[in-house]
Parts: sequence; structure tokens; C-alpha cells
Amino acid sequence: MSSVIEQIEQQIANLQTKTVASNTGKIVTVGDGVAKIDGLSEVMYNEMIEFPGETIGIALNLEEDEVGAVVLGEATHLREGDQVTCTGKLLSVPVGKGMLGRVVDALGRPVDGKGNIESDETYPVEKIAPGIIERKSVDQPLMTGIQAIDSMIPIGRGQRELIIGDRGTGKTTIAIDTIINQANINKVGLASGDPNFRPVYSIYVAVGQKNSNVARTLGVLEEKGALEYTIVVSAPAADSAANQYLAPYTGAAMGEWFMSNGMDALIVYDDLSKHAAAYRQMSLVLKRPSGREAYPGDVFYLHSRLLERSARVNEDNGNGSLTALPIIETLAGDLSAYIPTNVISITDGQIFLETDLFNQGIRPAVSVGLSVSRVGSAAQVKATKQVAGKIKLELAQFRELAAFAQFGSDLDARTKAQLDRGSRIVELFKQPAFNPIPIEQQVGVLWSMQNNYFDDIDVSQMVSASDALRDFLVSRKESLLTAIREKAKIDDDLAEQLKTAVDEWKASFA
Amino acid sequence: MKQDKQIKEFAKQLLKISLENGELSAERVDGVLKSLEKNPPRHHLATLKAYLKLVAREVAKSTAVISHAGAISPETATRIAAQLSSKYGRSIASVTREDPSLIAGLRVVVDCDVYDASIASSLATLETALS
Repeated sequence: MSSVIEQIEQQIANLQTKTVASNTGKIVTVGDGVAKIDGLSEVMYNEMIEFPGETIGIALNLEEDEVGAVVLGEATHLREGDQVTCTGKLLSVPVGKGMLGRVVDALGRPVDGKGNIESDETYPVEKIAPGIIERKSVDQPLMTGIQAIDSMIPIGRGQRELIIGDRGTGKTTIAIDTIINQANINKVGLASGDPNFRPVYSIYVAVGQKNSNVARTLGVLEEKGALEYTIVVSAPAADSAANQYLAPYTGAAMGEWFMSNGMDALIVYDDLSKHAAAYRQMSLVLKRPSGREAYPGDVFYLHSRLLERSARVNEDNGNGSLTALPIIETLAGDLSAYIPTNVISITDGQIFLETDLFNQGIRPAVSVGLSVSRVGSAAQVKATKQVAGKIKLELAQFRELAAFAQFGSDLDARTKAQLDRGSRIVELFKQPAFNPIPIEQQVGVLWSMQNNYFDDIDVSQMVSASDALRDFLVSRKESLLTAIREKAKIDDDLAEQLKTAVDEWKASFA
Repeated sequence: MKQDKQIKEFAKQLLKISLENGELSAERVDGVLKSLEKNPPRHHLATLKAYLKLVAREVAKSTAVISHAGAISPETATRIAAQLSSKYGRSIASVTREDPSLIAGLRVVVDCDVYDASIASSLATLETALS
């Protein structure tokens, strides 16, 4: 009780008795989450403005005789003639490690019912991305735990890798798998006490999704023990378009805080198609001129300024990184639509998921031909490079031959061997959802594939064979796996150990 | 949309005619209104509304509305107007209004700018800080 009184006394003592100057305006019209305001002569672009009832908004249209602003949150209590005040501040959100394990809205306020967030630091939602001098090229890997991706489309810390595909092809699953894998790696790394270990913190931004989907994702993260390393920013479909527009920038601010403080972070934007649609809605209500597919002219800048904030900064600037995995949903596999082409051109590569592959049971349904990582190979672990160097080419040749082989019955022995090997690789890359595989196990399996240990195993038995090999390595050869993880390359000694281990497994499996 | 722009543009031109040495002249405004009455333009009512809005804004720019709780001497009002005139670099007249909701102190409004030295605003700040 006395502390409350002390607090009040302190507040009264700090009370400003001098004149307070403010720049104000009056609401002319309000509707659809957008207010037109007369006055506010000194308002800045993107400035936070204050409406009655502690409601805030952002000034987005500065016109000659009025200001267009989006209202963040509930706008039903606002009336014509209500006073609006400039704050002189850009919108900021709370950041820091205190946010980990929490679910927040687009303004960084907790929505998980776990009480207040312990964070005394804020970060501007809109910020200019790090410049050229501050940056460094991508050279550290970020393992997704998905064999097909880590071996053929590797991702580096600070990279922007787009996940693109039709609805229901497993885009979110890949992103969640990656978050779970970071948590698994963090647990092992932090437990090892290695002073050079750099944990990766994750931020999952849900834009325009059903609350049930967000709840399911949260459930998975919690079940797999990944939530403690993750911040979830949620702007569900029921939120206003303004909140959906803002959520990715809020997430980026939280991730950028980790980067600017010398840490590594991963951010997933799920998804930017809905983000663009929310921005289109807002722009149309603000009466901005519309262009292709009714999107406003600056829809490219909307995504480029967001994704440019993901970077790897050099040692002079803390050596941190922010890796982005934006997600785009296509319609009937059309990659040439407006938003997909925009985001493809902004990012450093894409993972394309195909509906046909998904329906054939090939999951994750990664299309090898259309997926690419432009900068990730520089960051790929050497051991993976040694065992998976040729796999992408072999798989691409297999797809071509498989299509061709449908028309002929007589095939030469070489073609048959290629088809056989290809179908084994396809089976090998099948992986259940939310079960990322540690890189050392991936290396073990791929080494066995490269050295023809799977050649005499029936194609239908490939998945169980690779599972059995991994189980064998984990339960019987843990020291070998640790050696692969620590050395990160296969030298003669490791190759010999692998040969002995896989021979032993093969004898027991057969 | 195009029509709106034309009306606004016409109203702006009317305002320009209404200014004398950069300040609104009652005589000129009267002249403009008489001329409009004599030769009404297309969209007469909309034009008058747009003109009224611009005139009201111009008046607000050169008027300091001093709201006060309790008595305020005419000298104080004049001194406030003089201070504001020198701050904004234009002649500003003062208008006083009694407002008991301020509890004590003053609030001065010049166009969009509000200078608040009232107890009501201090209490509102305290309320926000404590909530």
C-alpha cells in the first residue's frame, strides 16, 4: 500500500506544471479504420498520433488540407470533431529477451494472458535497413533440419529465403520446422558450454491467419519446447487491416534488436500475400491511386524495405544477423503474379513447394528445379557439401528422365540405374512434419547414400531404412555424430569411422 | 473527384482575393460574397462551403482563443496576444472564453497549436501516468 502511495507521490512530484504545447487536429471523417483529420499542421509522415480513449494511429497521407491516418485497434468510439494530437514520436514497440516465449499483437502488447512483459527497451517499428558498410556477406549456416533444404538449398544467417507455394503445400510447416530446429540446436549448444556458440532466436509473424491456425502453431512450438526461444507476433484475420500491415514491421523491429545487439535471429513472415492484401485495403480506403491488381504503386517498397532489414552485420557492428523466411501463397502455382514476382526479386532465393509432389506423398514437396538459394552455398557446412554436392543434379536428371521414361519400355542399363538412384533419393528426402533432423544425422544418411549403401534396399523400404540408420547412429554411435558436428567436415578418419558404423548397421538391417 | 478539386481550387482563388497584405480583410470578404451572390458559380453551395472552410482556417490562424477558469484581466489577454504575434510573425488577436472545466489556469489555442497550462490537463496527464 505504502509503495503505491510513494509511486503516486513521485508521479505528482514529477508532474509538469509548465505550459504544455501540442499540435492538434479534428476528425473530419472516420470509417473502415481510417480517419481523415483537419489540422495537425506539424505532423510527420508515419508519426504516431493520439486519438481520444488512448487509441493511437499512424499518419500515412499528408495532404494539402487534411491528414489521412490509420487507427490501430478499435475505432468505433471515435466521432467527427474529436480532438487528435501529434506525439512527435515514430511508432515503437517493446523489444528484448523478455519478449521470448510470449505472444504479442502488432503493437507488442501481450495477448497470451501471461501478464505484463518485462521489457524496458523500445525500438522503432520503421527503420532504415543497415547500409553497405555495416554489412558482411552470408557465411554462417542456418540449419532448417529439413534434409532436402539443408543439402540442396542451404540457407545462411542473414539470408532472405522465400517459401512459396499454393495453399496446403506445407509452407508454414517448413518455417515451423526451422524454428523447432533452432530451438533444438540452441539447447544442445547452450548445454555444451561452448563460449563461441551463437544461439538463434526466432520470431514468427502471423498475418491475416485464422486464430485456430495460430493456436495450432503455438501448440506445436510449446510441445517441441521451441516457444521459449520464440516470439509470436499475431495479427489474425479478424484484426484491422492496419494491424495486419504493421505486424511484419513489429516483428522486424524485434528481430533487428537481436541483430543490433550482436545476436542471431530468424524471422518468419507468414504470409506476405495477406500482408499485401491488407495494405491494398488500407490504401484503397485512404484513396491512394491503385495500380496493377488494385495494389498501390508502392507495394514493392512495402516488401523491399521490410526484407532489406534482414542482414548479416560485420564485427564492427556486433556481428549479428537477422535471417528472413517470408512466405507467399500462390494461386494454381502461378509464380508470375504480381506479389510473387516482386518478392522473388527481393529475396536471395526461393523454396518452391509443388501441389503435385505434395499429393504424391513427397513431403516436404520441394520442387528441386524451381528452388534456389543464391547465397546459401557459401554458408553450407563442408560435411554436407561433401556428401550432397551432386544430389541436386542427380535429382534434376531423375525428374527429366522419369518424365521421358513414361513413353518407352526399353531402357538402357545406365538410364535404369539413374532412375533407380533418383527414386531412392526422393524417398530419402521424405520427412514427417515437425521432426527436424540434426545436421550430423543428415550427413550420416547422405554419406551412406553417396557410398551406395542403400542401393540394394527396396525403394518402398527407403524411409524405414534411413530412420533405422539414424536410430542406430543416435543410440550406438553418439561419439561419431558429435565428431561430425564438431569437425563439420568429413576427413579420412571420420570416413573410416562412418564406414565401420554403416557396415555394422547394414549387417543388422539386412 | 475532379469536380471537388475544381471547387477547392476556385475557393482558394477566392481566398487569395480576400487577403490584403497577407491578412484576411473583412471588407474584401464582404466584396467576394456580394460578387458570388450576384454571379453565382456552378455548384454554388459547395463553393461557398469550401470558401467558408478556408476563411475559418485563416481566422483561426490569426486568433488566439484563451480559455480560462476564473478571472483574467484584459491586459493579460493583450500580453498573450502580443507574445504570440511575435512568435508566429503575424498579427494575432485574442478572444477570451470562460471554461470552468479547466479547474484553474489557461488554455490558448491558435489554429492547430494548443498551449495548455490548466489544472485539468495536469490531472489528465497524472491519470494516464498512473493507469
